[in-house]
Amino acid sequence: MIRVENLSKHFKVFKHHRGAMGTLRNLFTRQYNLVQAVNGLSFEIQPGELVGYIGPNGAGKSTTIKMLTGLLVPTSGELSVMGLLPWRDRQKYVARVGAVFGQRTTLWWDLPVIESLNLLQHIYKIPAASFKQNLDEFRTTLELDPFLDTPVRALSLGQRMRADICAALLHDPEILFLDEPTIGLDVVAKERIRQFIQQVNRERGTTVILTTHDLSDVEKLCQRVMIIDRGKLLFEGQLDALKAQFGGKRELLVDFAEDYPSPQIEGAEIAGREGGRVSYRFARGEIAASELIGRISAKYRIRDLEVREPQIEETIRRIYEERLLEN
Amino acid sequence: MRIFWELTKTSLQRHLTYRAATIAGLVTNFFFGILRAAIFVALYDQQAEVGGLSLQGAITFAALAQAFIGYLSLFSWFELMNSVYTGDISSDLLKPMNYFAFWLAQDLGRALVNLLLRGLVLMAGYALIFDLIWPKSILQMLAVLVAIAFSWLLSFAWRFLINLSALWTPNARGILRFFFVFSWFFSGFLMPLRLYPDWVQSISRFTPFPHMLNSVVEIYLNMLSGPEVLLTLLAQLLWATILIAAGQFVLRAGVRRLVILGG
Repeated sequence: MIRVENLSKHFKVFKHHRGAMGTLRNLFTRQYNLVQAVNGLSFEIQPGELVGYIGPNGAGKSTTIKMLTGLLVPTSGELSVMGLLPWRDRQKYVARVGAVFGQRTTLWWDLPVIESLNLLQHIYKIPAASFKQNLDEFRTTLELDPFLDTPVRALSLGQRMRADICAALLHDPEILFLDEPTIGLDVVAKERIRQFIQQVNRERGTTVILTTHDLSDVEKLCQRVMIIDRGKLLFEGQLDALKAQFGGKRELLVDFAEDYPSPQIEGAEIAGREGGRVSYRFARGEIAASELIGRISAKYRIRDLEVREPQIEETIRRIYEERLLEN
Repeated sequence: MRIFWELTKTSLQRHLTYRAATIAGLVTNFFFGILRAAIFVALYDQQAEVGGLSLQGAITFAALAQAFIGYLSLFSWFELMNSVYTGDISSDLLKPMNYFAFWLAQDLGRALVNLLLRGLVLMAGYALIFDLIWPKSILQMLAVLVAIAFSWLLSFAWRFLINLSALWTPNARGILRFFFVFSWFFSGFLMPLRLYPDWVQSISRFTPFPHMLNSVVEIYLNMLSGPEVLLTLLAQLLWATILIAAGQFVLRAGVRRLVILGG
């Protein structure tokens, strides 16, 4: 459905000299830095996938999405979505995709939500019947009714996001691009948006590409992730595979009923202890948690225990910081 | 076509809600019109006519020019530029619609509100104070209406084109002001073109600007013969076509190098 090969986007950023003399120099010299926002990106996305696209600030996520939606023209490389070249076939292309940019709205700022949606019906030439059906459905699932007649400028961020997502889906797009759809939202609003995205992907079969800072979005939603940093793809695949490969170790916390000076156990190392509580570290794949628990309870009397998974945040942070995937 | 009217209609409703802005504009335009009429009275100093334009004609010219300020928006329109800088242009380019038509439809709504709420009210106000000239025949009135419609199309094509400079520079306001001086001066907005030296008039003939305002008023004042009126209407259409084509060309080049900020 989406095929990207060796895609690059470079920006020229003009240098500005400081001070009075610098201002004069700015007038006469045109020195610039070349920023390689996206650099040799290749990937494919199949119909019906829900893919998370993550990376730190300035990694090139938004630039990629803007190229995929036809807003930016690539510097080099190949890009084909549903057989179309987004920037060149703009009008034909955007009629078949939907996009939500978390930081801005597609809706008319000073119009009531419902009027913006009605305008979109005409702009996208949506047949009246399917418009009505979609709108009725989204009104319920996204709980739009309380603010349908409110001008967009008066909406809260969460309401605006729901309205924008509705607007992006009314014309039954085949692909939905979501750029930071949960940015700035509270936990409840985030969860609501996530459930809706999942529902759209499952029930309508819409392909979803999602960029986010919030890794819990990815963890809850995406079967597949792509991690980008400094314009390059660092990882592409299942989230579990990522965890297994770089996830570091799992942790088992044990509260012992008695005081054991050195409760060593085979297959795990002691990472720390605090009174009667000892934490063990063990590697996924080497030993199962149940096996480890069995071994401990056979040797010692325990009161309580808890298994902790490595946090995905932690994993990703390690990948960025330690550049684990670069070579 | 349906989309076009829906966009126009919504834009019209939206602009109708800007009551304070409309009233403020109306009052300002009204007083400046009186000032301009007073200047003409002083300038004419008992002369019956200057450059073929009577004092009554000059005052009517000033009244009409004031009435068309909002409608034609000939010396300030930065909406498209702003949409480039706020990044709203990205949402608009994501809509499956010709970008020029998208703006044209919305500008029509804005223009109609200004023509009806500002233009008509101003003319009615001036009619109470001054002895204005009115069209003599239905045919002439018809020609005036067509010329008014074409002048809007032409003015929009011009505003669209120059606003696109925002795609090249991070602050196009100065550039736009510079361009707007041309349309302001050569459209005859400042002074009827007939009152300028011949060489200014000659230069203006090679530009689209006289057809944005000066020609419309001359048709209104019955200063052109029948064939001249027809030629003027044709020239308006021709210039509009040229500017629209230039706008499409520049837009295509600009979007190719578009850098959308933020996000």
